[in-house]
Amino acid sequence: MEHYLIIARSITYAQRMQRALGKAGIRCRIFRAPRDLTSLGCAYAVELAPADLTAALQILRREHLDPV
Amino acid sequence: MIYLDSAATTFQKPPEVARAVAEAMRTMSSPGRGGYGAAMAAADTAFACRSELAELFHLDNPEQVVFTLNATHALNIAIKSLVPPGGRVVISGYEHNAVTRPLAALGAKTAVAAGPLFRQDAVLDSFSRLITPGTDAVICNHVSNVFGFVQPVEAIAAICRQRGVPFIIDASQSAGLLRLDMAALGAAFIAMPGHKGLYGPQGTGVLLCREGLKVKTLLEGGTGSLSLSQEMPDFLPDRLEAGTHNVPGIAGLLAGVRFLKKQGIETICHRERLLARQAAEGLRKLPGTRVFALPKMTAQVGVLSFTAAGRDTEAIGSALGQREIAVRSGLHCAPLAHRTAGTLDTGTVRLSFSHWNTAGEVERFLKAMGEILS
Repeated sequence: MEHYLIIARSITYAQRMQRALGKAGIRCRIFRAPRDLTSLGCAYAVELAPADLTAALQILRREHLDPV
Repeated sequence: MIYLDSAATTFQKPPEVARAVAEAMRTMSSPGRGGYGAAMAAADTAFACRSELAELFHLDNPEQVVFTLNATHALNIAIKSLVPPGGRVVISGYEHNAVTRPLAALGAKTAVAAGPLFRQDAVLDSFSRLITPGTDAVICNHVSNVFGFVQPVEAIAAICRQRGVPFIIDASQSAGLLRLDMAALGAAFIAMPGHKGLYGPQGTGVLLCREGLKVKTLLEGGTGSLSLSQEMPDFLPDRLEAGTHNVPGIAGLLAGVRFLKKQGIETICHRERLLARQAAEGLRKLPGTRVFALPKMTAQVGVLSFTAAGRDTEAIGSALGQREIAVRSGLHCAPLAHRTAGTLDTGTVRLSFSHWNTAGEVERFLKAMGEILS
């Protein structure tokens, strides 16, 4: 199934993203970011359904939560 | 045992704290170290604990809640982030060695804003005189660990904001008992133990950090983030949380904070004040005692010190211990507080209460004291 990943700098940051999205009714999952998607060494990814991407990015911008 | 040493640690915890610790040991590994179930369960618990604490102390961002080993660890980070070697600091006359020893290690030029016990106005005047532009930091405990004296941190914070001086609050005795609003205070840091008024396990502490501050690391190591870099991350909480977390402790702390919220801070504080007042009134009736409390326990919470003429405070503590009554005697790691109050030579016997103490226990303590002093 197609999905989008937003990369977060840390687990806590990813959890903040998840909480902000959850408050807006957007369900998402957190997991370790695949190595080829980040140059940070270790990071976390927030997984979204394609239909939620635009709204999710707007919410994160509003909450000053910046993906890596 | 009658436990009257909760200013050291609240030995009696809510049953759900021990259950949470055990559950964490069975089911959780380490936050930020993997995407598997046990790691994510640990991460969820840590985030929930940060979020509960952020709500309790009015921080918008749970990333500003840093887990430490204890309040001393938290204070060391705060002090060493703000005070350069030889820096200028203003502290209250009631500070603990957790403040004064790091300052001594830094060779700080420390001015003491002293005032008589339970005189908030005098303490405030002293701070107002001593805080000047160029002061690197002001440090004050909210409540004295020896005398239960509530210091006017809100007013001191206002002076610090006006004069652009960073303020560190040691909330070791007040977290979980008195309201603290980090946003309104504008404090740079608030340090606290997890194992006292927040009812978490020993080995837990918390540092609340104002956003945008540059914080110095005491430890460097793995954080589960930015692993390719050999520098510590510049973001919280990772910058200050190198190495594996005390996950069982954090799970217990979460249970403790939830217990506290359910009971109500004001309810617990009121109860402890009543017990301290009962003890103070009873002690005053015993021969030769000197009780450090105003009649209505003004500017004081559930910590009470006393001495008895001609009696060694340590001997009183031992005699109570033999009767299964736990108190703390001596200088309480706070010689400055004793110097300020004029009790440095003798120390005091300290009683400190928690949610679990009862009026009946205070009666039994007073009976025992009557026997010891007779």
